[in-house]
Amino acid sequence: MEFLSLLDVTFFLLTALGALVGIIFGAIPGMTATMAVAVCLPLTYALGLNHGLALLLGLYVGGISGGMVPAVLLNIPGTPSSITTTFDGYPMARKGEGEKALKVCVIASVVGGLISAAVLFFFAPILADFSIKFSYIEKFLIILLALSVIASLSSNMLVGIFSGVIGIWLSLIGDYSISDGGNGKTRLMFDFMEPYLFEGFSLLPVLIGIFGISTVLLEAEKGVKSDLNDERVKIGKGGGFSFGIFHGRFTNMIRSSFIGTFVGMLPGVGGSAASVLAYTQEKNLARDSSEMGKGAPQGLIASESANNALTGGALIPLLSLGIPGDSTTAVLIGAFTLQGIQVGPLFIPENVDTWYIMMTALIFANFVMFFLMFFAIKHIAKVVMVPKHILYPIIVMMCVVGAYAINYGIMFDVWTLLIFGVLGYLVQKVGLEVAPLIIGFILGSQAEVYFVKSLESYGTFSIFFTKSPIAVVLWLLILASVVFSILMSLKNRAKQRQADIS
Amino acid sequence: MTINKILLTFGSAAMALSMTTASSVVLAQDGPLRGNVRVVIGSTSTGGDTYQNSNIVVEKLAEHLDLNMKVDAVGASAAFRALDRDSRGNTLMIFHDQSYLGHLYGVQGYEDIFEKYTIGPTVAINPGNAYLVPKDSQYQNLDEIIEAVGNGETVRVAIQPGGVSEIGFSALKNAIAIEHPGKEDNLVAVNTGSQSDKNQQLFDGQADVINGTVQANEQYTRLPEDDQKAMRFIWLTARESTIEQAPEEGLGQTSREQLLEYTEPNVTVTMGDDENFTFDKEFFFLYNKDMDQAIVEQIDTALAEIYEEGEIQEVQKNSFFIPNFLPSDEAREHLEDKRSRYEEIIQNIQ
Repeated sequence: MEFLSLLDVTFFLLTALGALVGIIFGAIPGMTATMAVAVCLPLTYALGLNHGLALLLGLYVGGISGGMVPAVLLNIPGTPSSITTTFDGYPMARKGEGEKALKVCVIASVVGGLISAAVLFFFAPILADFSIKFSYIEKFLIILLALSVIASLSSNMLVGIFSGVIGIWLSLIGDYSISDGGNGKTRLMFDFMEPYLFEGFSLLPVLIGIFGISTVLLEAEKGVKSDLNDERVKIGKGGGFSFGIFHGRFTNMIRSSFIGTFVGMLPGVGGSAASVLAYTQEKNLARDSSEMGKGAPQGLIASESANNALTGGALIPLLSLGIPGDSTTAVLIGAFTLQGIQVGPLFIPENVDTWYIMMTALIFANFVMFFLMFFAIKHIAKVVMVPKHILYPIIVMMCVVGAYAINYGIMFDVWTLLIFGVLGYLVQKVGLEVAPLIIGFILGSQAEVYFVKSLESYGTFSIFFTKSPIAVVLWLLILASVVFSILMSLKNRAKQRQADIS
Repeated sequence: MTINKILLTFGSAAMALSMTTASSVVLAQDGPLRGNVRVVIGSTSTGGDTYQNSNIVVEKLAEHLDLNMKVDAVGASAAFRALDRDSRGNTLMIFHDQSYLGHLYGVQGYEDIFEKYTIGPTVAINPGNAYLVPKDSQYQNLDEIIEAVGNGETVRVAIQPGGVSEIGFSALKNAIAIEHPGKEDNLVAVNTGSQSDKNQQLFDGQADVINGTVQANEQYTRLPEDDQKAMRFIWLTARESTIEQAPEEGLGQTSREQLLEYTEPNVTVTMGDDENFTFDKEFFFLYNKDMDQAIVEQIDTALAEIYEEGEIQEVQKNSFFIPNFLPSDEAREHLEDKRSRYEEIIQNIQ
């Protein structure tokens, strides 16, 4: 327990400050937890390792959590992993239940964060050994499973699949990067586009454009008249929230937290897959999922507990293998290298004090995030009451700043924001679906890399089915997901027909 | 009204702050390099050696020149583009041998840096480029691998194609072509990406040898043999004289003496003509071709003074870098010479 002597007031203050700044970063569209950690990384020089880690872990937890705010209130996922939060959060905010939605999100987040921290603390080395059983093939199948849910997320299955395919196609624009073991050659573009699109469209500008800018355009089309007024917006005195909402939802919350932790610990699979998988598992397994996508708290619980559970999950391979589980932990590893500390399979046994320090910071950051957000929500939720002619220009400005900053000042990212903003608007006008399109975009390029690498490594298609028992289980899940989607679609169609007749 | 007031207050505060900062920066400088300086690097990782080493150098340089300098991990193609756009000297680049190896391997986005840019000073070497096998591998050393390939066995090596990770593989292939002509195709490259992908290929049994680094893989070499993740070094590409400059305690629990067991002359990869292949991964500055020559000289002089003080060497060695300052002219000559030797290897095996 020597590490206790290393904990001081500064340590806790820095963790709390990190969580606060992280929440702000996460809440601004285009600013992410990764960016917050990257910006503050050089500070670890001055702060030393323990204090530096306190700040960075606070930023990490805060940054991941902050993404829920614009997702719920503005329909803009603050971070890629909060896409599924928009599905139910925004409809709730439109019904005047923004505060209630955010409170559900905060509680789900803290539960997800703490469960994953516990898993990290007790099982990190064992899980790291399990995670290396996931080769290119199993990772491809997980992505395929996440992609297979596109159909069940859509109101019209065929349109959803078509939108998803467009998303995948868009994700393949650019080079097949040599850093992924590719040939570094570009495809799906003309020569004159190369200077701009060599690395393809950047994820965040696409995400903010397609959700944020298109929402602003759709709202602008309706005119400036607000459809929310003080009477309809339930703010203050709980905002319609009660802990009763969680009654019967614990399985969902625990399951989603484990899904988040599990996906987080697989390097290269990414956070968005976690919340998408958790969301669709809830949709497939819940007794009644008919309200999901229209403003159901159970969707928020699944999405937010999974995306916060990523934090502990992504730290598992970082601290047990020296391999970052996601983009934020990839930056976090810099804190160790800047201090000359190696992270690898022997990190935990050789740096026990640092390990306990990190766990303390992670747990404390989750509590700080909870208290900061739970009690600030009634003020934050008032954003929806700002007149739209003031709110929307500010959102557009923040989106532009975020898009420009995300890759350290690339103007084309701002154009990407605009292009996808207009595309998102048009896509909705012609009846295509945005959610499958963006999920296809996020997962498409990873699916390609793992698919190609699997074939390069094993040289045969049959290996996808025969590689390991894990692969077989994943195929069964994919099959179940597809069958479920078809059944749901048929059921919906029958219901529609019945409604038409009556 | 309230919003306007808030905006006004914040606006004027921000303006006052930026004016104060700007004036203090201008006052602080009298050399040709002025304003804020952005140092872009050819890697997107903030956990890698390029970022770590660039940070050490840039921090010292900023302090010495009393300038505001910041390292941005933007990646190779974005860094080259940023450098192309700015001839004032406010954007500089730090990268390593990948910058010309990428061109030699014909990777898209890499041009001839000796033609297109001004080569700046070298600052350090990362001596950690390594090749590893599973701890229970049938191959005890590199000679056994060369022999096995010469006898017709296929040996798979996981690398990231097109640069630093591939050059050792190319040299090995070249050595096999010299010692066992016609058998070199039995040495097969498994193209992968990150270090974790290369490790994974080893865990999955999809590669017999992987490219790695002392820094990233040292802990894996200390795992017990029955651990699926256990590995052992078989070759460090750095020169013996480079490793000899590393701290005696080496890295982690592996001492300098132990590391020297894997360099020449204990492990040799022939290039023909009694010459052995070695590769030191060197970090150096790259400048826009039209940048004022006075800035080149200013940075050369500043770095010469910094290295003369001797403190930076300690910091670099603590982070397992070997200090290697060469002013711009010497650096250019040295790197051009290095490039021509590797060009020969790559041409031989094509």
